Amino acid sequence: MTGFQAPNVEWLTLSPLLVVFLAAVVGVLVEAFVPRAQRYAVQVGLSLAAMVGTLVASLVVFARLSPTADEAELGRVVAAGAVAADGPAVFTWVLLSVLGLLSVMLFAERKVESGVLTFAGQAAALPGTEAEREASTRGLSHTEVFPLMLFAIGGMMLFPASNDLLTMFVALEVLSLPLYLLCGLARRRRLLSQEAAMKYFLLGAFSSGFFVYGLALVYGYAGSMGFAQIAAAVSADTGSRALLLGGIGLMSVGLLFKVGAAPFHAWTPDVYQGAPTAVTAFMAAATKVAAFGAMLRLFYVAFGGNRDDWLPMVWAVAILTMVVGSVLAISQTDVKRMLAYSSIAHAGFLLTGFLGIRSLDEVAPGGLTGVSAVLFYLTTYGFTTMAAFAVVSIVRDAGGETTHLARWQGLGKESPLVAGVFAFLLLAMAGIPLTSGFTGKWAVFAAATAAGAWPVVVVAVLMSAVAAYFYVRVIVLMFFAEPVGDGPSVAVPSALTTVVIAVGTLVTLVLGIVPGALIELLGNVGVFIR
Amino acid sequence: MELYTPILALMVLALGFAVFSVVVSSLTGPARYNRAKLDSYECGIEPTPQAHGGGRIPVKYYTVAMTFIIFDVEIMFLVPWAIYFDELALFGFLAMLLFLVNITIAYVYEFKRGGLDWD
Amino acid sequence: MSETPFLVLSAILFTIGAVGVLTRRNAIVVFMCVELMLNAGNLALITFARTTGTLDGQIAAFFVMVVAAAEVVVGLAIIMTIFRTRRSASVDDASLLKY
Repeated sequence: MTGFQAPNVEWLTLSPLLVVFLAAVVGVLVEAFVPRAQRYAVQVGLSLAAMVGTLVASLVVFARLSPTADEAELGRVVAAGAVAADGPAVFTWVLLSVLGLLSVMLFAERKVESGVLTFAGQAAALPGTEAEREASTRGLSHTEVFPLMLFAIGGMMLFPASNDLLTMFVALEVLSLPLYLLCGLARRRRLLSQEAAMKYFLLGAFSSGFFVYGLALVYGYAGSMGFAQIAAAVSADTGSRALLLGGIGLMSVGLLFKVGAAPFHAWTPDVYQGAPTAVTAFMAAATKVAAFGAMLRLFYVAFGGNRDDWLPMVWAVAILTMVVGSVLAISQTDVKRMLAYSSIAHAGFLLTGFLGIRSLDEVAPGGLTGVSAVLFYLTTYGFTTMAAFAVVSIVRDAGGETTHLARWQGLGKESPLVAGVFAFLLLAMAGIPLTSGFTGKWAVFAAATAAGAWPVVVVAVLMSAVAAYFYVRVIVLMFFAEPVGDGPSVAVPSALTTVVIAVGTLVTLVLGIVPGALIELLGNVGVFIR
Repeated sequence: MELYTPILALMVLALGFAVFSVVVSSLTGPARYNRAKLDSYECGIEPTPQAHGGGRIPVKYYTVAMTFIIFDVEIMFLVPWAIYFDELALFGFLAMLLFLVNITIAYVYEFKRGGLDWD
Repeated sequence: MSETPFLVLSAILFTIGAVGVLTRRNAIVVFMCVELMLNAGNLALITFARTTGTLDGQIAAFFVMVVAAAEVVVGLAIIMTIFRTRRSASVDDASLLKY
């Protein structure tokens, strides 16, 4: 028996992850020891500091990315093979830290609820009881949402960087479990919120059951959890193919569930509608980034050798997802639900970019790989959707947010600025030129076409046209319909939400006009280490 | 087989001691019963009567169930670690220390926020 | 000794769990079925650790158990809140969000 060798831990490379997890743990201690009155300030300060810290650390790691021994890829495998800090992984770290920073600001918004968080004052108090009223009059707030969010961010950052199946599974759960809880913590419409949490939890746990079984089958096929060893086993084609194909199928159920792709999308509208809007914004933007990053790595690195086996499945799922998302969005009467179906459609577009898998020597110099295209789309979509949900969170009436579309009639007359910003964001989601939605779609379609997936691209273009219909319908509603009753009103948010909306809109505009720099950057770093 | 001899010996010893104490105390001790003594033993708390056909278990037990999980998870990693303690040396010790501190933080949070207060 | 019976057992357990999730009404029972699926995964992992002669599977089984435990805590908390609000843990009653 060989002796135990202590693994070498590359602290600097792992520092972005460590900062987030450390801050989350400290956040739990803050909840335990800091008096109630100061918790809000301490938690927000801590979370903002953590996100800025991890952003700086990620940028440092990004700048220090160095070529591997054979000069083929950027990055290195750290933490005894568990984490791959390569171009795509570190890029998602940077992206997630920025999105996380914006989410902290959304979470910390107190002005629209006149001085309390938009989260439940006391989750344990039953809705409609004396205890709940008391919690609300005393101005209680669950500041636990901040550590929970930090844990989720930590899991999200680990997810696309994980270099073996086990790390991937643990990261998946670390990101999911806090999200289940966050979904159930809305201050208003608590029954909806609790129901959303239960649905998300039961279906999420169901899908992770599939993921675990798939993981076991792939391990049985390859005899190892490491992606490099699995890739080697796949190329050598030893072992039972039934195990491999079964494993790939079951694991993709787990991952496709997380990205909200049809036919595993059923939770998305319910959860997006029921969850507190700040959480919805966070989930819609950040979870997609993390889950697609992980999916890209798993399929490109570990299963890249037998892509002919699984590409047809992704074709079918991509087409189905786009059709389901775009068509069902048309009949929606709730803004959050409509944005949820739109996010399903976007998952389909992202899967289209996912089809752009080619081996490196097939890619023309300067051409887009599937990885670069998907990462670019994730960047554009993340900022747009976060800003859109931030806008939803400030259109309110006496009962809280007014998400019913009928109540949005005439918003353009009430508040031209907010309606204008929302219209711009919707146009970006529809993919109108001069917005980031257009450049993003162009990138994924180009990558998919180059890899020969043109039938999917044709469907995608058709579905973009269908999707444009319901986005434009909302714009028409806002600007050309008369307000019903006293109409919607726009709460004046604090600087926090304003900054989120401004940043999201600005990024949407800038990436729509000058996407070149980011695409070029992604072209340079968009290769997974093997 | 002889590896198991100490375990067998311990089992015999434990069994013998248990039987011995019960038998001897019932033979030699005074037998003065009252209501509390005749009640079923519930770790010192008043035994709650079961409703007919089972009945519901009070909600408050579920925080205890959740706390149990903390220690459940803890022991699962402690056992393999303890077996190879010598080999894992300082790295293993520090890693386990980090793990235990993290687990304890969750416990401290529950304790400080009144999760363990009865009633 | 052949490992096939263990794999067959784990597949059967997984199927029972998956079917249970889809057919049962009580959230707690649904959740127990999910746990059954995770444990079927554990059995498969340990069996494969034996067939492939590696330790990874056994280590993974530990982590799956931990994750399952954490999931129990979060899940019970959510189901408890729902139950206390509605006096019912039936997933059919949770139907405010639809279409």
